[in-house]
Amino acid sequence: MNKNALPRRAVPAPTASREVSYRHGEPSPELKLVTDALFRHIGKPVPRKEDERLITGKGRFTDDFNLPGQVYAAMVRSPHPHAVIGRTDASAALALPGVLAVLTPEDMLADDLQPIPHNPVPSTNYDVKLRASDGSFPFVGPHYPLPLKKVRHVGEVVALVVAETPALAEEASELVDVEYDVLPHVTATAEAFQEGAPAVWDEVPDNVLVDSRFGDEEGTDAAFRRAAHVVKRRFHIDRVTAVTIEPRAALGHFDAETGRYTLYAGSGGAVRQKGEISKVLGVDRERLRVLSFDVGGNFGARNRVYVEFPLILWASRRVGRPVKFTATRSESFLTEYQGRDLITTVELAFDEAGYILAMRADNISNVGARCVSLSPLSKGSGLISGSYHIPCATLRARAIFTNTMCTQAYRSSGRPEVTFAIERMMDLAAEELGMDRVELRRRNLVPPDAMPYTNPVGQHYDSGEYEKNMDRAIELSDWDGFEARKAEARARGKLLGRGFANYVESSIGTPRERAEITVTEDGRVEVIIGTQPSGQGHETSFAQVVADMLGVPVERVQIILGDTDIVKEGGGSHSGRSMRHAGTVMAIASAELLADAKSRFADLHGINSSDIDFHDGVFSAAGVSTDIFALAQATAADKGALHAAHTNEMHTPVFPNGTAICEIEVCMHTGAPVITRYVTVDDVGRCINPLIVHGQTHGGIAQGVGQAMWELCAIDEETGQPSAGSFMDYGMPRSDNMPSFTCEIAEVHSPTNPLGIKAGGEGGTTPALAVIVSAIVDALSEFGVRDISMPVTPQRIWQAMRSAQRNQDNLDRSNR
Amino acid sequence: MYLYDTTYLRPGSIDEAKALYDAGESPAFLSGGHTLLPAMKGHLARHDRLIDIRRIPELQGIAEDESYLTIGAATRHCDVAAAPVVRNCIPALAGMVGTIGDVQVRHVGTIGGSLANNDPAADYPSAALALDAIFRTDQRTLTAEEYFQGLYTTALEPGELLVSVSFRKPEHAGYAKFRNPASRYALAAAFVAVHADGVRVAITGAGNDGVYRWHEAESALGHKFESESLDPLRADMENMSSDMHANAEYRAELVKFCTQKAVTNQNCITLL
Ligand SMILES: Cc1cc2nc3c(=O)[nH]c(=O)nc-3n(C[C@H](O)[C@H](O)[C@H](O)COP(=O)(O)OP(=O)(O)OC[C@H]3O[C@@H](n4cnc5c(N)ncnc54)[C@H](O)[C@@H]3O)c2cc1C
Repeated sequence: MNKNALPRRAVPAPTASREVSYRHGEPSPELKLVTDALFRHIGKPVPRKEDERLITGKGRFTDDFNLPGQVYAAMVRSPHPHAVIGRTDASAALALPGVLAVLTPEDMLADDLQPIPHNPVPSTNYDVKLRASDGSFPFVGPHYPLPLKKVRHVGEVVALVVAETPALAEEASELVDVEYDVLPHVTATAEAFQEGAPAVWDEVPDNVLVDSRFGDEEGTDAAFRRAAHVVKRRFHIDRVTAVTIEPRAALGHFDAETGRYTLYAGSGGAVRQKGEISKVLGVDRERLRVLSFDVGGNFGARNRVYVEFPLILWASRRVGRPVKFTATRSESFLTEYQGRDLITTVELAFDEAGYILAMRADNISNVGARCVSLSPLSKGSGLISGSYHIPCATLRARAIFTNTMCTQAYRSSGRPEVTFAIERMMDLAAEELGMDRVELRRRNLVPPDAMPYTNPVGQHYDSGEYEKNMDRAIELSDWDGFEARKAEARARGKLLGRGFANYVESSIGTPRERAEITVTEDGRVEVIIGTQPSGQGHETSFAQVVADMLGVPVERVQIILGDTDIVKEGGGSHSGRSMRHAGTVMAIASAELLADAKSRFADLHGINSSDIDFHDGVFSAAGVSTDIFALAQATAADKGALHAAHTNEMHTPVFPNGTAICEIEVCMHTGAPVITRYVTVDDVGRCINPLIVHGQTHGGIAQGVGQAMWELCAIDEETGQPSAGSFMDYGMPRSDNMPSFTCEIAEVHSPTNPLGIKAGGEGGTTPALAVIVSAIVDALSEFGVRDISMPVTPQRIWQAMRSAQRNQDNLDRSNR
Repeated sequence: MYLYDTTYLRPGSIDEAKALYDAGESPAFLSGGHTLLPAMKGHLARHDRLIDIRRIPELQGIAEDESYLTIGAATRHCDVAAAPVVRNCIPALAGMVGTIGDVQVRHVGTIGGSLANNDPAADYPSAALALDAIFRTDQRTLTAEEYFQGLYTTALEPGELLVSVSFRKPEHAGYAKFRNPASRYALAAAFVAVHADGVRVAITGAGNDGVYRWHEAESALGHKFESESLDPLRADMENMSSDMHANAEYRAELVKFCTQKAVTNQNCITLL
């Protein structure tokens, strides 16, 4: 490969005048001290502290909790995608002995429950601003726990039944007779915004709740007029569901004596659940306690409030008993918040030499029956230009309602979609321009000396060495050995294809996080933090940070999360925010705690605090020394517990980035694909625990590959019924259909936060869709296949080969 | 998710099982329960009594004689797959049973349950048809052709108990399966057995009407037993089922390819 075939184009150098600033103030002496002393534990593959508990059945998942006298709820769900709700007859259900209540929308209105305040429009300074076509704030469709007049998707809860046993509740729920006046429906993303499509909400007759335009239209038009080549394509990144191993569950209790509600419910962050559910119930925040301990998978699906949570709390108040609800797998398939579902049309203008001049993108996000989150559209909008320097771009971003389950941020919200688009475009453009696809990318990458770099839609990439990632991945993949592997595969009747994708993504997330750190008298360090792990190993990696800061063994540090009576603030876990926000606030709180400890030590021994040395958890000066635990004990009586609390706000996003390469063998006869090689290089910023980051990358890859190869929330457009409602039809990544991965971590520290962290939870997923499809298309290139839609099932691949062959035969015939 | 109320009973003999069945209002025999219980949990079936037949001695065991390998109806998949007698006598059968579902499924599911259920995507029916099996019930004896009667349908009368199945020993046999990428059941599979009196090709997973014999393939292979003999053939599209994972055209292709692989790889199994 000739790297220097053409001189690199100059990319504007970072300018000082940009709004973005990476100043965090001079580190305090304490922070500097700990920064210098850091990294005894940080960066080490410390095995996860939580694993033993989790794999020996000692986890505390929601369904593990039971309260005396509890009863059970079952949901009555709409069988129709769109209908007016008529009379509800609950008499048969209520006649069953042991059925305590059937609650309907009328009951809900009588008790004045409010819609869930999802607050779906992203609002940090760094989010793109999404508005309705007339510039007004988008109508999002009120999300009452029970719908007022109409049902708008299959599976929507229309009533709930409370009974003495779960079996009875379920049986009774089938006896509730709801009349429906069926309305015409629309489920397909491509149909909903067309003239004449049925309106999901009367308030938005064309179903388009957001229609915003960004970028430099004039400049882009001019660049397109100048262009030597224009490449244009439309892609649909279809809908998937999270398939968390633990279905959602909740146990709710209203205590009539104290007037307080308690909710056990695994989620992406108990503090948010508390805030929003208390508003639904119309009570003061402090009258609701939410407990969320171990969570069996989230991936975004659990970040938003589910209607069942306020419903069972309300039901508990109504029946005077604790009420439990555990979703079945079928209910999960039908009504867990789903992911993706974006149609994007992309146009790239190139000059003669293959440099990109400009880009036009038109993105349409299907939010489902109501809008619970615009994060996918917003996040993706900011990253349409990917890892490439594109001087000029325009973007039209639309969100549309359909009669389907709501979509929500799903692992790497919005980014795999736009990464798919730009990376597929790079492959297609290379083909059309007759250039090598790696060289075309190389030519257009944002170079390190342009960092921080402002992309054409206004995102400020903080740091990264994109070309280096690419070269390293190429090396790790044994790029040059490909032709030999391809010939060998061919001899076995297999077509070998190679996929390539770069990516850059953004991690923003709720800006506030709080840490409270206490050195206990019995020799532990307790850290209270408001994030919510669902398998990410916070109890280990967070402990590593604090252990390093305070110079104590990692085993002594205990992370406490999940109970809103203890954790008062906290942004939860999403958007790759946890390590960065928690790491930073824990570092600052630790520094404050050390400052206090130092002055206690000085007082204790009557010495000047500037002479004190701190090392390995031990303070020493003038021949005396005390370790931090002894110090806490010795000073507790006078000065109280050795403790620090800090709340930190950080708005500046970070931009993890990297490269993925894979190889796939396709059976020439059946179309069956097998991944034979998968390589990634991921810049996660500073890596606290490589064992955990690799685990995250592996899982992230499987999740992205799953969407590319098997997963699809298929819906029959005629009937509006979901047609992949179980594992019989919804294919999953499994240990036996995944290869062994070669993953390397690149650490380009982010200048945006003291520890230099970016994020490591989503980079595996972001390029996976693109790299898989790229490999399949490469394998099929000899048939003239240029594109294929996801999931790339054996049938789809076989059909693509088949129709390409037929076209070829027809061509040959007409040429004869 | 939850069964309607039912009574679980565990007889020790065929007579006792029959008596319990006759006294029920909507009874069902229970074997591994891997099909029956999910149907009941999904409220697709309601039975007032479940009569567990797994402790009845006549439904147990694997035995071999000159011409047949006989397996008791309540024998679990794992036991068939691991039995030396099956591996020696009909390696393709042992291999096939070893590909059913996963480890958990194979340790609970039974041959009788599978054949009584006659799922159009199940594996056993193809082996039974290609190996010219004899089905013994508490009342009579049926040939495979008589026994299989279309999707989820068999000749068993209500209350008739399948006791054992005898597979005719072939000279050699092979099984090839293309799995549904989601469920891992057969999207198409072929069991090809060579008997002294001819070749039998049974196809499962693909047919509109459940398991069937592909007669054209049988006669082509009767002329010359090699995969090329099938090159000119095409599975009958009219007869193919169609769903989101495979339309009729694709299934027809898979049927042919599986059959060819089963021919090439005799005495073993091929997972595609
Ligand atoms: C996750 C999963 C994956 C699977 N994958 C596969 C696969 O890849 N290939 C495959 O072939 N199968 C597969 N199966 C099916 C499984 O192997 C069993 O064979 C099947 O579920 C039925 O057997 P059982 O013993 O569980 O029968 P049961 O569920 O107990 O019974 C099934 C039916 O047969 C009746 N019945 C049972 N025994 C008798 C008898 N002796 N006489 C008369 N009637 C009787 C019952 O009344 C019931 O109607 C899978 C099942 C599961 C749950």
